[in-house]
Amino acid sequence: MFCLSEIEHDLPIPPCLLNRPLISAIKEELERLFLDKVIANLGLCISIYDVHSVEGGFIFPGDGSAMYKVKFRMVVFRPFIGEILMGKIESSDEDCLRLSLGFFNDIYIPEHRIARPCKRGDDGIWVWLYEGEELPLDIGEEVRFRVLSIKYPPVPNEQKEDAKPFAPMEIIGETSGDGLGLPSWWGD
Amino acid sequence: MIIEQANAGVLTNFDVFDFLRARGATSDPMGCLGAVAPSECKVFEYLHQSPACTQTRESIDEFLERCEKFKLSPAEKLNIINLRPSNQPEIYALVKECGKRLVKGDIDEVPELLELVNEVLPQPPPKPEAAAEQHESMRSNLLDISG
Repeated sequence: MFCLSEIEHDLPIPPCLLNRPLISAIKEELERLFLDKVIANLGLCISIYDVHSVEGGFIFPGDGSAMYKVKFRMVVFRPFIGEILMGKIESSDEDCLRLSLGFFNDIYIPEHRIARPCKRGDDGIWVWLYEGEELPLDIGEEVRFRVLSIKYPPVPNEQKEDAKPFAPMEIIGETSGDGLGLPSWWGD
Repeated sequence: MIIEQANAGVLTNFDVFDFLRARGATSDPMGCLGAVAPSECKVFEYLHQSPACTQTRESIDEFLERCEKFKLSPAEKLNIINLRPSNQPEIYALVKECGKRLVKGDIDEVPELLELVNEVLPQPPPKPEAAAEQHESMRSNLLDISG
C-alpha cells in the first residue's frame, strides 16, 4: 500500500525561512510542495520520510531565494496490482461503486466487477444474489477489494461544466471473488 | 524534480503508522494540529482503525520468520500483515493459487497459516459500534448486579 520513493529536487528556500535550521526549513518547504499531491506514475505523496543530502545554496541574481539541490525520500501511497485493501463505500451509481479510504477517494469498482450475479435495487444499492440470498452493499459499509489497475489520467485542457471533478489518480478494483466484499459475508 | 528511484523499499501499514505516531499524530484531528499536516492526519486515522494499530515490530518480525515454511511471496506476506486475515476465504483471496500452493494432496496448510496469523499478529481494535455494544452489555451486566 505504501512505499518509499527517492526524489531529487531543486528547491528554492525563501528568505523568510533562512533564520530556521536548514533541514527543518527544507522539510517544511517540501511538505508544502508535495504533501497530499499526486505525482503521475508515482502515486499520492503522504509524508516526507527523510532528507538525504543538501547541496548548493546558490542565490540567483534578482531572486532572494537560496537554491538547494535536495535528495530526499518520501512515503508514497501506491498499492500494487493484486493488493487487497479495505475501503468504505461512498456512493453507488448505475455503472460503478465508489470507495474511499478516508485520505483517498477515487476508487471505482465497475459494475461488472461487483460480485456476480448482482442487481441494483430501487434505492440504488447494489445487491449480490448468492444462493437465493440478497447481500446488499450498503453505503458506508467497509468492503475488501482487489486492486486491478491504477490510472493517471492526463490533466484535461477543457472540462465540461457538468463533468465530475478531475481526479489525477484513479484506482480500479473488484469485489468479486473469495474473501472479497463485506467481511460479514465470509465470517464463520 | 527527478525521480531517482520510484521504489526505494515497501513499507507495511505498521511502519507508516509508527512513523506518523512518532511525529506526533493522534487519532483526534484537533490534536494533530501543528504536528502533522491534515492529510497525514487522515492517513493516521485510517491506519488507526486498521490491524496496524495494535501490531509491534516484534510481532511482525516473528510472523515473517515463522511464515517462511509456506513459501509466500514478499507481496503476499506484506498483504497478510496489513490485512490480518481472520478466516479461510480471506487467505484464498490473499494468496495467489492458494488451492495449489497451500493444499498439497491431503495436507491443507490454510488452517495452519490462519492459526499462525491469529497467534502472532495481535487482534485488531474493536470497531466503534462493537465497542459501544460491548460497553452497553457491560453496563447492563453492572445494572444486573446492582439490581
